[in-house]
Amino acid sequence: MKRRFRLRFGELNPVKFVSVVALILCIETGFAYGKELPPVKIGAAGPFTGDLSKIGLDALNAIQMAVEEANAEGGINGRKIEVAIGDDMGDPSKGVLVAEKFAMDKNVLGVVGPMNSATASAALPAYDRAGLVIISQSATNPDLSERGYRVMHRICPRDDAQGPAAARFIAEEIKAKNVYIIDDKGTYGQGLADQVAAALNQIGVKVTRGQITLEDRDFSPILTRVKATQPDLVYLGLSNPAQAAGLMKQAVGLGLSTKFMGGDCMKERDQLVAGAGGAAEGMYITAIGRDIAEVPAAREFIKKFEGKYGAMSVFSGQSYEATKILIEALRTAAGDNPAGLTRAKVLDAVDNIRDYKGIMGFPISFDGKGDVVGASIYVYQVENGDFREVKEYPAEVR
Amino acid sequence: MEQILAQFPQQVINGLTLGSVYALLALGYSMVYGILRMLNFAHGDVFMVGSLIGWGVLQLFIKEGPAMARSGLVLVSMVCGAVIVTSALGGAIERFAYRPIQKGSRLTTLISALGASIILENVAMLLTQGRAKAYQTELIISSDWTISALGATVSATRLIIICVSIMLMLVMDYAVTHTMLGKAMRATSQDREAAEYMGIRTQQVISAAFIIGSGLAGIAGVMIGLYYTQVDFMIGFSAGMKAFTAAVLGGIGNIRGAMAGGLVLGLAESLGVLFLAPVYKDVIVFSVLIAVLILKPQGILGKPVDEKV
Repeated sequence: MKRRFRLRFGELNPVKFVSVVALILCIETGFAYGKELPPVKIGAAGPFTGDLSKIGLDALNAIQMAVEEANAEGGINGRKIEVAIGDDMGDPSKGVLVAEKFAMDKNVLGVVGPMNSATASAALPAYDRAGLVIISQSATNPDLSERGYRVMHRICPRDDAQGPAAARFIAEEIKAKNVYIIDDKGTYGQGLADQVAAALNQIGVKVTRGQITLEDRDFSPILTRVKATQPDLVYLGLSNPAQAAGLMKQAVGLGLSTKFMGGDCMKERDQLVAGAGGAAEGMYITAIGRDIAEVPAAREFIKKFEGKYGAMSVFSGQSYEATKILIEALRTAAGDNPAGLTRAKVLDAVDNIRDYKGIMGFPISFDGKGDVVGASIYVYQVENGDFREVKEYPAEVR
Repeated sequence: MEQILAQFPQQVINGLTLGSVYALLALGYSMVYGILRMLNFAHGDVFMVGSLIGWGVLQLFIKEGPAMARSGLVLVSMVCGAVIVTSALGGAIERFAYRPIQKGSRLTTLISALGASIILENVAMLLTQGRAKAYQTELIISSDWTISALGATVSATRLIIICVSIMLMLVMDYAVTHTMLGKAMRATSQDREAAEYMGIRTQQVISAAFIIGSGLAGIAGVMIGLYYTQVDFMIGFSAGMKAFTAAVLGGIGNIRGAMAGGLVLGLAESLGVLFLAPVYKDVIVFSVLIAVLILKPQGILGKPVDEKV
């Protein structure tokens, strides 16, 4: 072995070696300076495997669909667009790795996501260091845009708009006096539960709180506690609709008959309504966007999406919209010179998006913090296995 | 205080339900450890496979028509399907993951067990696309079939779980103490070499232990599916940890100990929640384990280890 190795080494003369390397380098750079520009990459960050993969994959499908459509229209002034996939599994530590991966790839000029508040919160500093603009379709935790990171943008209203709206509905429409709030200790779940609890306390509704963990499958312990306080309503600050479905089914098994209410990510036909059997019937859900099935401009998107990937899930429409907005910003930033695109130009262009009319049913602009302007909070109720809109509140942060 | 008293009966029922499932799983752990002195970390994942198979069988029946009228048949088919697959899986794991390296160090088999566990989890993730699968328990066991007593609601599902588990445990106990296979198992666990000299085919005994243990895990999987009403590819991990804890708690290698350990663990988990927030239930479980290990290192029913000369 040793001998052969030596022999080979002897054959490779250093001058030859250096010239081969130099030649390879020349060819490589030659390609880069050829007439074909490298594709612009849009990062897609979200939970594409793991507990939340159903929601994540349907978002990714929508992102890819938006990009394919843009490419069919000629991309960014002739420059192709590609999706760079960053699977964070909904795990904050992986969210940071995804951000760093995108930051290192100089062709990634903007990111759709991260989808979860916890991953967004962890990854924000890394995106900020890289000057890489992000547009989240579903991260609702208020803190995200309060920390002063310029790259942060989102097209969903914040939990401090959603929480008070939910509380108003609980007090004014359901007229509940005694509410039990369960959360999953996550950035999103607990954050939303905190907002609802604070708003309910202000109105004077009695609130009792309890927690589970994201890994829990057995909810009898907490439900037994809930039963002892005999609440008029149980509010679920959970990020996994499948978990909510399991919880409501187990509540039936324990003889606990009460109304349930949950946050925006519960609006899932497959995981929540079908998953809970009949147990989700009558449940209230606050949503951070109108059911796009009711928006005329979205009809074509829905038809195309459902024809290709099957039933839409809760954030498919928002993911498509966020991607379209990013592509629009890329086009504005590129102008006539797609080779001169930089992250800084794209960030400026996203900041300057005004009244973008897409499929969400309201014109989208961003305020100075990157929060969306003009959104509403909708309350839906599960009726005959479908969602029916029962109330609309303007999304205001007090 | 009043609230705590009101919750007490219900939490006891919760604890018994969960405890009897832990006990069934712990049996499999303990049997294998007793005979081979190895920890079969893939056991929790065999349980997960069982619950998914049960789900699959249930879907077949639901597709065919209303399942409620034949709920007995559906339940039996779910259990049979799960047991057949998990027993075969248990046998295969023993044959391919453990037997080739049986003569190696204990660490080697432990790593092989972890490998088997990772493979099972990932295959299940791919097949289910990582999604939770809903058990339509309400379609075969009506949610109206409940008994309320002393403020506790005992659903038919819980009753079935508790009764079936206790029955299986009694059968297992009888089998280990009164049948030839049980005798062979005990002999192999005491001294494999000597057992072989006495004409016991120890390799077959080992296979049998894996197959029976995995079959029990399959039944436990179906029952937990009916109880949680939802399963996914990750349930094996935490269930495996709890079952392992139960086995150690009762004295690992000891069949009756495993059953006692499971019940104690389930009750500790549920009753602990009376005084602490439910998020701490795992903390309670592992605190009980640590306390038992400090006070009685060999476990509740374990015998002190004799030093071999």
